[in-house]
Amino acid sequence: MDINEEKELLRDITRKEYKEGFVTDVEQEFIPKGLNEDVVRMISERKGEPQWLLDFRLEAFRKWQGMKEPEWGHLDMPHIDYQDIIYYAAPKKDSERPKEIDPKLAETFDKLGIPLKEREALAGVAAVDAVFDSVSVATTFRKELADRGIIFCSFSEAVREHPDLVRKYLATVVPAGDNYFAALNSAVFSDGSFCYIPKGVRCPMELSSYFRINAKGTGQFERTLIVADEGSYVSYMEGCTAPMRDENQLHAAVVEIVVLKDADVKYSTVQNWYPGDAMGRGGILNLVTKRGICHEGAHLSWTQVETGSAITWKYPSTILKGDNSSSEFYSVAVTNNYQQADTGTKMIHAGRNTRSRIVSKGISAGHSQNSYRGLVRMLPGASGARNFSQCDSLLIGSRCGAHTFPDIRNDNSTAIVEHEATTSKISDDQLFYCNQRGIGPEDAVGLIVNGYAREVLSKLPMEFAAEARKLLQVSLEGSVG
Amino acid sequence: MMRQLDSNILSRLNPSPASDAGHYVELPVPEGSDVLKVADGQSFSQVYMIGRGEGCVEGLPFSSIVAGAGAQVDIVIVILPGADADVPLAVDIVGEGADVRISGLYVCSGSDNVSVRTDVRHRVPGSMSRQLFNGIAAGSSRAGFYGKIVVAPDAQKTEAYQTNHNLVISGQAHAETRPQLEIYADDVKCSHGATVGRLNEDEQFYMRSRGIPEQEARVLQMISFIAPVLSGISDQELKDSVASVVESAVRAL
Repeated sequence: MDINEEKELLRDITRKEYKEGFVTDVEQEFIPKGLNEDVVRMISERKGEPQWLLDFRLEAFRKWQGMKEPEWGHLDMPHIDYQDIIYYAAPKKDSERPKEIDPKLAETFDKLGIPLKEREALAGVAAVDAVFDSVSVATTFRKELADRGIIFCSFSEAVREHPDLVRKYLATVVPAGDNYFAALNSAVFSDGSFCYIPKGVRCPMELSSYFRINAKGTGQFERTLIVADEGSYVSYMEGCTAPMRDENQLHAAVVEIVVLKDADVKYSTVQNWYPGDAMGRGGILNLVTKRGICHEGAHLSWTQVETGSAITWKYPSTILKGDNSSSEFYSVAVTNNYQQADTGTKMIHAGRNTRSRIVSKGISAGHSQNSYRGLVRMLPGASGARNFSQCDSLLIGSRCGAHTFPDIRNDNSTAIVEHEATTSKISDDQLFYCNQRGIGPEDAVGLIVNGYAREVLSKLPMEFAAEARKLLQVSLEGSVG
Repeated sequence: MMRQLDSNILSRLNPSPASDAGHYVELPVPEGSDVLKVADGQSFSQVYMIGRGEGCVEGLPFSSIVAGAGAQVDIVIVILPGADADVPLAVDIVGEGADVRISGLYVCSGSDNVSVRTDVRHRVPGSMSRQLFNGIAAGSSRAGFYGKIVVAPDAQKTEAYQTNHNLVISGQAHAETRPQLEIYADDVKCSHGATVGRLNEDEQFYMRSRGIPEQEARVLQMISFIAPVLSGISDQELKDSVASVVESAVRAL
């Protein structure tokens, strides 16, 4: 391939449409811009929250005020003006038909491939909680799940209907003052999903949340809480998109997962927030805190495919508290154009014979910067604990960067930690091999990248894997270097 | 160490920077008395034993190496028990075809607090660096390794490798390792590997079932664990004398 052809291909991808970039024209209600105690009270009041939750928010807000925005990420962060954000935006309900979903919203989610009408969804495939800006608009298959005692609803509803459960587990994994963005979320969180799987129940379908940012000038601060009681199992998926805009929008979520004795949770994310345009204008700032805690014999598996967002800064983590608990982290992070990602995981081993495994595949193209950052901590009590980490980076094009920053701390003489990382580009031999057999350069890159990411993609639930594969292709098409 | 370090080098070798940029930052090439300059086509090869015993030094006589085109650098650092040392070393490769090898071992006992910090910058295309550090933490010592490889934009055809293995052989010892890769060019071969672990029980069983006492088996394991570092010393006589010092240190653990 000559230089011109290569340039043309590169130009092609910069023109690639972000197909989820449309805006839904619905009437929305907002609260005024800015952040202060009154705004926190206003959000709580709109949602009709009990006093204890308002107190929780206010305490978090006071903590946040005393904190400083972190700067240690391998990121060039744009300045965020926290007073220039609308913290609550909700589509207006039709007062005559308050029970029904606005057809425009249903249409939006339809367009995104998320059917909210149950009969149209394939029977038993997945239950969905759809969140539009600050509120949850629909949760499907609730009755089928309720028959088995599974609670799956929006966070606000859980606060009203299951306050004891929410109160018992809220902020037990990510305390309100954990970090700057978690504190901000704790103060102003809007909606999100709540899920409780009772003892010994195997959830019969995939549960999923779909987050959509629509309104201009807003941020999204959702909160997800998953509790898997003893011996239960659930597979949970999360997806997200946003319209194309020239401004940066903030997304600061908190996800907490409590995995009780012998329970098993599989959490999958396909993150496709608007990444900004080819010049790096606009895009979502994805600053998220995700953490799970595993009790005795429990298992938590994280799988993430990160293709969107102007900036991704997150570390889905597991605290292996109980003996014999285990956790895995599988990640594919793709950055193109001027995207930046600083992502990875933390595995905190506290219990005996705890095991963890980390597989991270970074792919950077264009002018993007892609970093893996991870912590593996063996506490003095983690006898016989074991970790293995593998972090590979693939560079496509000579103007991008790939970085690896692991941190391994071992305080136990019987624990074993292994880490390895490699950085390389798609080899000319591989490309030549494909070209020689009649596979064009574009398809060859797609093929090689898919093969490279296969170990992670194969961990995704089936419906998600197909979407993720397509996303990889779209994100990288034409970026032959 | 009492020696005053260049603040630029110190900030480069700080494992917890207060702030970080999301792009390549061009740093000045270090200058001054603290810098070992290996000019174009020159070679430099040296073994440093850091500790309290005979023939030992308190620390490296430099904290920075600048390697020119085609320069050959081969440095072996041996940190012995009781050294309680902090060894910072920044390397800048400023000429094509340079080949830099830095290896080291650290044997820590008692309440030693040993840290090795490296930062190898490939500023030009077509150079090579290899780092190998193996360490043993015994007693209630702390062993820390922080090592960074930076490949500048356009420093194509760079080959940079780094390996760090640690053994924790007592309940109160701690080991920490932070290998880092910052790569801004695509046609490169870079890797790092790091482990923290214990003595292999299968190996011990193998030796003990053949009549080797437990203590001797452990010593043999530890010696073989650090042997790859010693085998990098080309002068046979020097290698033997360093090996015997290290062996007696390991036996005394």
